[in-house]
Amino acid sequence: MKLMHALTILTCAALLLGSAQREQRSRTVTGTIRGRIDVRTSGTTELRPDVAALGMHAAHDRPDRRRSVVYLETAPRGAFDPSEEPRASMDQLNENFVPHVLPIIAGTTVDFPNDDATYHSVFSLSKAKPFNLGRYAAGRSKSVRFDQPGIVRVFCDIHSHMNAFILVFAHRYFTVTDDDGRYRLPNVPAGSYTLTVWNETVRGDAPRRAIAIAAEGADVDADFTIR
Amino acid sequence: MATLSLALMGTRAGSAQSLPSGPLELANGQVTVAADIAATIGARDDAAPPECPRRCGAFFNYTDYEHNALRMFRVSFSGAWRPSRRLAFLTEIRSEDRERFRPYALYVRVRPWTTHAFDVQAGRIPPVFGAYSRHVYGPDNWLIGQPLAYQYLTSLRPSAIPASADDLLVMRGRGWLARYPVGSPASGPGVPIISAYQWDVGIEASVATKHIDAAAAVTSGTLSNPRVDDDNDGRQISARVGWKPVVGLVIGGSYAHGEWLNGALRDSLSSVIHSGQRYPQEAFGLDAEYSRDYWLVRGEFIRSRWRLPALSSPFIHGPLDATAAFVESRYRFTPRLFAAARLDGLRFSRISGEKVFSGVPTTWDAPVGRVEAGGGVYIQRNLTVRAVVQRNWRDGGFIHKRTFVSGQIAFWF
Repeated sequence: MKLMHALTILTCAALLLGSAQREQRSRTVTGTIRGRIDVRTSGTTELRPDVAALGMHAAHDRPDRRRSVVYLETAPRGAFDPSEEPRASMDQLNENFVPHVLPIIAGTTVDFPNDDATYHSVFSLSKAKPFNLGRYAAGRSKSVRFDQPGIVRVFCDIHSHMNAFILVFAHRYFTVTDDDGRYRLPNVPAGSYTLTVWNETVRGDAPRRAIAIAAEGADVDADFTIR
Repeated sequence: MATLSLALMGTRAGSAQSLPSGPLELANGQVTVAADIAATIGARDDAAPPECPRRCGAFFNYTDYEHNALRMFRVSFSGAWRPSRRLAFLTEIRSEDRERFRPYALYVRVRPWTTHAFDVQAGRIPPVFGAYSRHVYGPDNWLIGQPLAYQYLTSLRPSAIPASADDLLVMRGRGWLARYPVGSPASGPGVPIISAYQWDVGIEASVATKHIDAAAAVTSGTLSNPRVDDDNDGRQISARVGWKPVVGLVIGGSYAHGEWLNGALRDSLSSVIHSGQRYPQEAFGLDAEYSRDYWLVRGEFIRSRWRLPALSSPFIHGPLDATAAFVESRYRFTPRLFAAARLDGLRFSRISGEKVFSGVPTTWDAPVGRVEAGGGVYIQRNLTVRAVVQRNWRDGGFIHKRTFVSGQIAFWF
């Protein structure tokens, strides 16, 4: 009986402690970083001159190269807490990877469904995650789990103009810009950070800026221009 | 609050691809320029054993520009100007073994209705016959050598012909440098069944649907002798129909017929041949490709027929036939590593001479067999290193067997 009492007390204590921690976490002061990334370069089409073809190349969508990923270069404690296994998707649609830029957290499994009427063969030679899914037809999907942070460039072995980027982050403080280049990075704990912008058209050092979230919490605006 | 980790571990976009991966763009994307560069090293194919006369090497891999396909430095640039969705101008120039750049393709492509996949191309255009000649380069050729039908030089020449069957039989296995008593007195290379190294000039129309691709062309040369200028007032008609019953499977059938013999040579024989007599090359072919997962298999069967004037005894009766077939496959083991192999054969019809081979019916050129196998590594998506071993057999000529080892580094953007 004494053992049962002791277990009950310990369980209650653990529940109370967990509840207190959740309470404290919910009361942590956070701010939102927001702004706009103005991308003034369009990049390349990747479509080579199809000299050996007998006709115009079939119409295909073009990737949106104006999308940028905004992220904290260093992350606050707690950013690496494990959660349920995340899942994302990169579609093959109209000879185009959709989305063209996919930021994920390490440990995410990405599905690659083929929604075209033709074969695709998705592969990557990137150090962070080399993979080769082989040829598979419409309606089928294969998946890859990304565990190591880094940039994974994705290609199709059949259609040389098809390419995409998967950015694998070690933490969850990242976001991708919308159609207008706007972004919003919420729930950033108070502190000093380096905010960095990734865009595929940037050559050389990525644009970055020192950001401080005040102790009382506040929203911070940070705009960038990429030429 | 503490700094814990770099989000991307210091990775930059540039580290994913350190060399250019896409074409150069000009004029707001209307003009694109791409390049293919391949350096291939291998043993010489023209080395003569002591008992041979001068230049009596094997010449198994010589092309119609007299370069060795297994020992070549090739640079090609292709460009496209697309002023609108209906119109494009395309070109490709190429240099082999540091010789001057030659125009390989130069044509205009028109799509009259943007809602229909119907195109017209005019100029120096890609061939419609078969499938291989439209993917000779870069990542499309998994090995280094070419199929015999598209590369191996037979002993036939359009500008010089044998007077008799004996004249032709003497040249068996010597397509790299054939010489005949009628026509051009100089020695010169023969022709392959289909030239993968030259394109013809003419006009072509194509249409594509979900399951059917069809194309037809009228050109000035023939499959074995593509020409910029028309040297015989004859036109070649060629066509191919491709059927895609399911995703991953393509089956095609091709036909071509065109005047082949040089016009000046034909005119010089007007006293001994019938006026208006034509000497065409006629060919039909079947091609197929199937791919699934990490496998890709494709093959072609080609039958070509040339007609020559019968000038003196022993006469060359009937047409001269050549039959070629190859099957090739590639398997990709890992994202970077692949292996490939090709099995290839070339056969000829029989003729009878008098002095040569004692009148025994003999193939008019020496049959050839070839096996090529190898593998490669993708250093990056558009940079490969590959190596092959190629074994050749020939029932004729000075050298009957030879094995080659060749390596290649290829880059394209």
